[in-house]
Amino acid sequence: MLDRLLLLLLFLIGFWGIIARRNIIKKIFGLTIINSAVVILFILEGSRIGNSTPIMSSGIADVVDPVPQALMLTAIVIGVCITALALAMAFRLYRSAGTFDIDEIRRKIHDEAS
Amino acid sequence: MMKRQRVISFLQTFLALGAVLAVVIPVFLSDFPWPTSARDYLEAHGVADSGARNLVSAIYLGYRAFDTLGETIVLLVAVSGTIGIIAQSGVSLARGFGEEALDRKTASPRLRHRRTELIDVVTGKLGPIVLIFGLYVMLFGHLSPGGGFQGGVVIASGIVFIALGSKNEDSTRLQEAGMLARIEAAGFLSLILAALSGMVTGSGFFGNPLAGMGASPVSYIVILNAVIGLKVGAGIGFMCVAMMGRVE
Repeated sequence: MLDRLLLLLLFLIGFWGIIARRNIIKKIFGLTIINSAVVILFILEGSRIGNSTPIMSSGIADVVDPVPQALMLTAIVIGVCITALALAMAFRLYRSAGTFDIDEIRRKIHDEAS
Repeated sequence: MMKRQRVISFLQTFLALGAVLAVVIPVFLSDFPWPTSARDYLEAHGVADSGARNLVSAIYLGYRAFDTLGETIVLLVAVSGTIGIIAQSGVSLARGFGEEALDRKTASPRLRHRRTELIDVVTGKLGPIVLIFGLYVMLFGHLSPGGGFQGGVVIASGIVFIALGSKNEDSTRLQEAGMLARIEAAGFLSLILAALSGMVTGSGFFGNPLAGMGASPVSYIVILNAVIGLKVGAGIGFMCVAMMGRVE
């Protein structure tokens, strides 16, 4: 139970980073932390029904569930894609606004519009 | 005025966190027992069906190979999008690693200090070793922990090491953006061809074309692992090299 509570805390830290921090880079960190929390939760839960790694050889029995591991492989790759795209967009914003602070970026857009 | 704004934003954060907590708590704290039927089936039949001792490889290149094709397409789209966004912004990104900074006279002192000899020596020497380890992880993915994606990421970090460690004069083809892009395209093309080749011999899309020729069924997984590893390594390496500001 304690491990799940810690993962919940990790998830909330990531979410808090996304909504409360002003710096875009820290928001992207938050996205990555949420992704890791979900990945670890799946791996942990899938490992509860067995004891050994899912690499079969003679004498290996009672393996953990390999399905969540294969699915989380996909999730990790997609997470890398999201991080790369988000960083590229943050770079683009920095090139045009000169700052990573979303409040300042919004103010600059507002100034240019008026 | 400022104080009121801060209180409002604090309240907003608090409410959003509470709402997410209400949605996520049942997911994280559910005590529903994990189903064992998939594990039991794979434990009994996985090796015989696919030939791979590593059951994770057996799933993502055997039972769910179609899903892996979609995954590589997502990766391809993300790499093209990242490169497009960076290239459209024009200038090279990390000036500490680009050509400008190596012009020691004009570079500011701060930029000059960012690149130490330590990085040159360590990463330059480690790069080839990391590349070989990546090849090992990629080619032995059916026997040991690893596989195409994992080996590809290790290869990408080897490419980054080589790109970091080499001075401007002695560059290798592996850190040229065009070369990496070509390797990635070739990897994706051969993945599609490997997927289609099963149709010629009558075993269907992503079927094993070598099954009828007496070859062990695991050979197809080794081929797919190698192709995916090359593609992922070149793609992520391309992305990192572009973020270092070496894309033209």
